[in-house]
Parts: sequence; C-alpha cells; structure tokens
Amino acid sequence: MATSTYLANPVVTVNAVALTGFCTAASMVRTLESIDQTSFGETSRTYTAGLANNTTTMTLFMTYGAAEVYATLKSLVGTRTTVTMKPGSGANSPTSPLHTMQNCYLEELPVLDSTVGELSTIELTFTGGTYSETVA
Amino acid sequence: MKYTIVSELVGTPGDEFIPAEGINIEALVEGGFIKAEKHNNKTKSED
Repeated sequence: MATSTYLANPVVTVNAVALTGFCTAASMVRTLESIDQTSFGETSRTYTAGLANNTTTMTLFMTYGAAEVYATLKSLVGTRTTVTMKPGSGANSPTSPLHTMQNCYLEELPVLDSTVGELSTIELTFTGGTYSETVA
Repeated sequence: MKYTIVSELVGTPGDEFIPAEGINIEALVEGGFIKAEKHNNKTKSED
C-alpha cells in the first residue's frame, strides 16, 4: 500500500548547471556487478558484489540559447562530470535525499534531433561514476 | 583562480562560484555560465 504520494518533479543538475526546467525524464541507477562465488558442493549459485557500474539517464528539451542546454553539454561529451538529482526542491533530508554521481562519463551527445511539428528532445546517458547520497 | 557566476542556472549572478569536486570548470566557462576573474595582487597601502 502506498504511504505517500510522489509526483515526479525532481531537481536535476549536470556539471552544476540546473537543467530541471528542460528535463522531462531522469533516472539514476546504482548497479553493483554480481560476481559468482559458488563453490563445489553448493546446490544454488550465490553472488557477491563486484565493481559499481552506475548509469544516469535523462531526457531534455534541446535548446541552443546562450547558457542553456547545448552550451551546458557541448564541452562535456567525452569527459567526466558530476550529475545530481533530488526528488524535489526542498532542503536535503532523509525524505528528500540529494543523489550525486561524480565522475560519470558522457560518451555521446546528439547535437541535433529534430522532427517536424515537435519540440526537439535528446536523451543522455552518463555511465560509471561514484555514487553518494546527501541527507543533510 | 576566482570564478563569478553569470547564469542563474548555476547560482546567483555576481556571486563567487566555488566548484564542487568533479565539476568541469572549463565547460562552464566555455558555455558562458561562469567567468574567470584574474586575481588583483596589488594591496592598498594604509596611509
């Protein structure tokens, strides 16, 4: 049973730039690769945590205005940066944690993705990085 | 090097920008979000 209503309205920054007003979808997934540690005599496979292999994705309206989306991203492709996401705009707290992915890598940037009659959107994927959570 | 905020997407324009670890400063400068201020090493003499 749901105990609280959560209307998705996260705060998103990329390289310290607030892109919330351009963002329509955001996801930050922690992944710890599984390592098989099954030994002889066991009847079920068991696993232990390996390296972290995190993924951060987002969908943005593409804009080419001064100090907007393209200006934020054009120098980041092929480099590592920091992405943060929060469930809402309130202060950091256990019920509104700030999720930070530091040193995540932006492999590709769609520099133009247009369809007639639609707002231009792009999808970004940041791979890797070190995850941390701030609650105060 | 001291950096000053230009775009409100980064903070309050005019305030000093203190980068957190992992922030790509060059990308922010190139994108026009902040600007670098040269230090003025001259000190005022007290008369």
